[in-house]
Amino acid sequence: MSGGNSKNKAKSKRHEGWEEAGGEFYQELYPGGEQELFDNLQRADAAKLATLLPSKQARNTTTVKRARSQTDRRQSTFARTMQSRDIHLSMLPDLSENLSNEERSWEEIMQIKALPVPMSQKIELKARLQNATKLRLQGFEQLHWRQRKVWHRFRIGCTETFSKLELWQTPMREIEGKFGTGVVSYFLFLRWLFLLNFTISILVIVFLILPKTLLTERVYECDETEANSTVCCSIAYFEKNTTNSNIFLDVIQGTGWMERTILFYGVYTDQIYTYYVNSLYHTKLFYNMPMAYILVPISWTLLSLIAIVKTAARGFKQKLIESEGQFYKYCNLVFGGWDFCIHNDRSARIKHQALYNEIKGCIEEERFKEEKQSRSRESQILMHLKRLFINLIVFVILIASGFLIYVAFNFSTERLNESIGSNENRTRTMPIVYTTMSFNQLENVLMEFLPFICIVVLNLIIPEIFSYMIRYEGYMPPHVIIITLLRTVLLRLSSLGVLLSQIYLYISTNGIVCAKHNTDTTKLECWETYVGQQFYKLILTDFAVQFVTTFLINLPRAFMARHTRSRCLKMFGEQEFYLPKHVLDIVYVQTIIWMGSFFCPFLPIIGSMFYFMIFYIKKFTCLVNCTPSPVVYKASKSKSLFMSVLLLGFVISILPVAYSVAEILPSINCGPYRGYTTVWEFVIQTFNNFPSVIREVIFLLSTATFAVPAFAVTLFFLYYYWAVATANRHMVAVLKNQLVLEGHDKQFLLNRLSAFIRQHQKRCDRRNRPSFADDDSSIRQSSR
Amino acid sequence: MGQGKSQFTEEELQDYEDLTYFTKKEVLYAHQKFKALAPEKVGHNKNAKLPMAKVLTYPELKVNPFKDRICKVFSSSNDGDCTFEDFLDMMSVFSEMAPKAVKAEHAFRIFDFDGDDMIGVSDLREVIQRLCGPELKLSDSEIQQLVQNVLEEADLDDDGALSFAEFEHIIDKSSDFCHAFRIRL
Repeated sequence: MSGGNSKNKAKSKRHEGWEEAGGEFYQELYPGGEQELFDNLQRADAAKLATLLPSKQARNTTTVKRARSQTDRRQSTFARTMQSRDIHLSMLPDLSENLSNEERSWEEIMQIKALPVPMSQKIELKARLQNATKLRLQGFEQLHWRQRKVWHRFRIGCTETFSKLELWQTPMREIEGKFGTGVVSYFLFLRWLFLLNFTISILVIVFLILPKTLLTERVYECDETEANSTVCCSIAYFEKNTTNSNIFLDVIQGTGWMERTILFYGVYTDQIYTYYVNSLYHTKLFYNMPMAYILVPISWTLLSLIAIVKTAARGFKQKLIESEGQFYKYCNLVFGGWDFCIHNDRSARIKHQALYNEIKGCIEEERFKEEKQSRSRESQILMHLKRLFINLIVFVILIASGFLIYVAFNFSTERLNESIGSNENRTRTMPIVYTTMSFNQLENVLMEFLPFICIVVLNLIIPEIFSYMIRYEGYMPPHVIIITLLRTVLLRLSSLGVLLSQIYLYISTNGIVCAKHNTDTTKLECWETYVGQQFYKLILTDFAVQFVTTFLINLPRAFMARHTRSRCLKMFGEQEFYLPKHVLDIVYVQTIIWMGSFFCPFLPIIGSMFYFMIFYIKKFTCLVNCTPSPVVYKASKSKSLFMSVLLLGFVISILPVAYSVAEILPSINCGPYRGYTTVWEFVIQTFNNFPSVIREVIFLLSTATFAVPAFAVTLFFLYYYWAVATANRHMVAVLKNQLVLEGHDKQFLLNRLSAFIRQHQKRCDRRNRPSFADDDSSIRQSSR
Repeated sequence: MGQGKSQFTEEELQDYEDLTYFTKKEVLYAHQKFKALAPEKVGHNKNAKLPMAKVLTYPELKVNPFKDRICKVFSSSNDGDCTFEDFLDMMSVFSEMAPKAVKAEHAFRIFDFDGDDMIGVSDLREVIQRLCGPELKLSDSEIQQLVQNVLEEADLDDDGALSFAEFEHIIDKSSDFCHAFRIRL
């Protein structure tokens, strides 16, 4: 600080010189605001000097200054004006100084709204700006300005219409008023998923379902010499009678007549449709169904990936900006803690409580950290042992649940095959037309759904156990959420994994058979449809369970909690809106949709319908069943959490589908790829039919001559951005340091100045020979 | 809406549209809301001045711990009584369209209880106490510690108070602030 000191000394010398010359010279140079400053200094109360600093008053002018700098305007004197209340009028641009043109004054009018002044002054300001003489714009500039104005109006109109069209606006508001922004971000996520699925559904409808229903297929004859050709097999497959049972059962299982509908993979043809458009002089047009069938999944995969990455990237960018945000934890809590949108007494009380808890928690966390450092080695070892033990238990539970699903799946398939066999024996001896649901059928249905019920029930119960166990592990609160979430995700995905592997084993042994001479009912004639059915059932079960738990279990619980006095029942009945669990619920549905959509193209459509209903179910859970959670959910944090969970689900669901596309033999009887060894083979064949130029280009792209330079260039860019980022980070640190130093300098100068003023006042007082009482008070003041 | 329209001329609406973050329709809607606070008074004079107690019956404001400060900050007479124009200003700042800088500006004034253009220790204490509500009380040492932590984080020049520049710096880094500092019309 020695350098700063000497500088200051020089400054104070100058000050003395200025005092000798008297105020006149100074005033002449700086009329207006400086006069005020001088008066202020004369009157000043040394203690309040700090409030006169421009930086303390800058906030009244910052917004205007910003507007100015945009339009590159002259330096004006307003920043020096001192009276903060009257500042606004002096802030008006001095119009006589130089004339502005129409565009600029329009821009300025648009900037007025950012000023922190009452409306009457704003109107005055606008009127002055409008009435001021200004240059007219000529020719092209005039046109340009008009265009801008029109564009501005158009944009406002657009946002207005869009905000009106926005889905679920009123419910969102209601939730926001009761639960705050953290929970609303969950519902926004739900809406985002709905819209994603809706887009995918449109894709599927336009490119798969409409062509399938509108265009007619050619009919081929089966050539008896080649009994095992795809044509013969598929004719046999479609001519076969489906198991005839109850319509309701068919609908929920996707079997029977449902199997042969556009719902599933099986019915999509391997032909290239030809059709004539009469209005276009009988032009012949083609529609390549197998091509569409592979392109549509690829495009929705890319679409989902881009959508996720884009949303996540936005969150990631924000997170980077706020990477310092952890250091601003307390500031965020204090200044951003209250949700201004809360409008309900009860929730306000709970919000107070939540903030109180959070503050307590933060302070305690600090203590906890200190404690942790001072904790003895023994207790630390004990803690780690405890955690290890609990992790072991979690692992065992995961394996056990996987095993349970494995057993359930095998059991149900065995029983089903047995019962089908026995049924067939019976139908051969005495043909019964099933019109009513027999007990046997009910059992069959139960067996069909057994693995899925098993999965869903496990998903319901195990997380409760996890959340119970984690209390004994002594993690910090934010870690608790992440760890429970991770364990639950593992549970859900592992159960899906077990199911998938079972299905895979089943189809690899029973999958490929020609329908022509097949009488073995355990053999799958169209395994893709079978897989599609499994996912269809899974999603139905999941939805049913959501519905049942919300309305038949949780609603009575909430009702009980509200109308009972007994503490025990209240404990049982009260539910909090525990965000991670609900996030998982909807991410899980999305995972199923991604996994199953290739085999059951209708799934995205069902999915978007479900999301539509799930929104209302969750809203009901949120508003009726639950009380606001005493945990504060931060909107920004939860958003990035949602996206990372979703990304994980995406990767895990796409992998098996990609494997099946690339490796597994498609069934001969059905689907667009009958006769190929893999689905991917079809893609390669189509690729080979491309013009040679395109093929060459694509080949070139995949060779080392292209890949190595591309890789190098990417690396180079990566390095460049990394270097820029480090430099910026360094710069930020330097600037911050400088800011602190400036602050100290300012403090030092202020002290000097106030000492000088005191001296000056004393001298004035002596010159004026005031009464002793006055002198006394001034001394007291200065000593204060 | 037609009834509301009769109270404003086209120019007035244009002014309001240019000078707030609202469209004309939203201005009219805001006026309906304002009218609902005191139907007979506002019906008589569209820009009637409502006492603070009346304004605070607006649902979002009613439960807000900083309600009196909000009214005072936006009141053109500085005593908390609001005309419709003040109310419109308030809603415009709290609307979704208002940029962060404008929101930060007003938030600073709301949190600056003693009006010395700095958020000092006493202001911070007041904010924390109001956040916890009337029923729950933090102990003095806890508040002291929290204030200490806040100042440690944000007070760059070590003068024991937050200036606007420092406050704006915090707000820039907080993405939740914009979500939280919002009242839907």
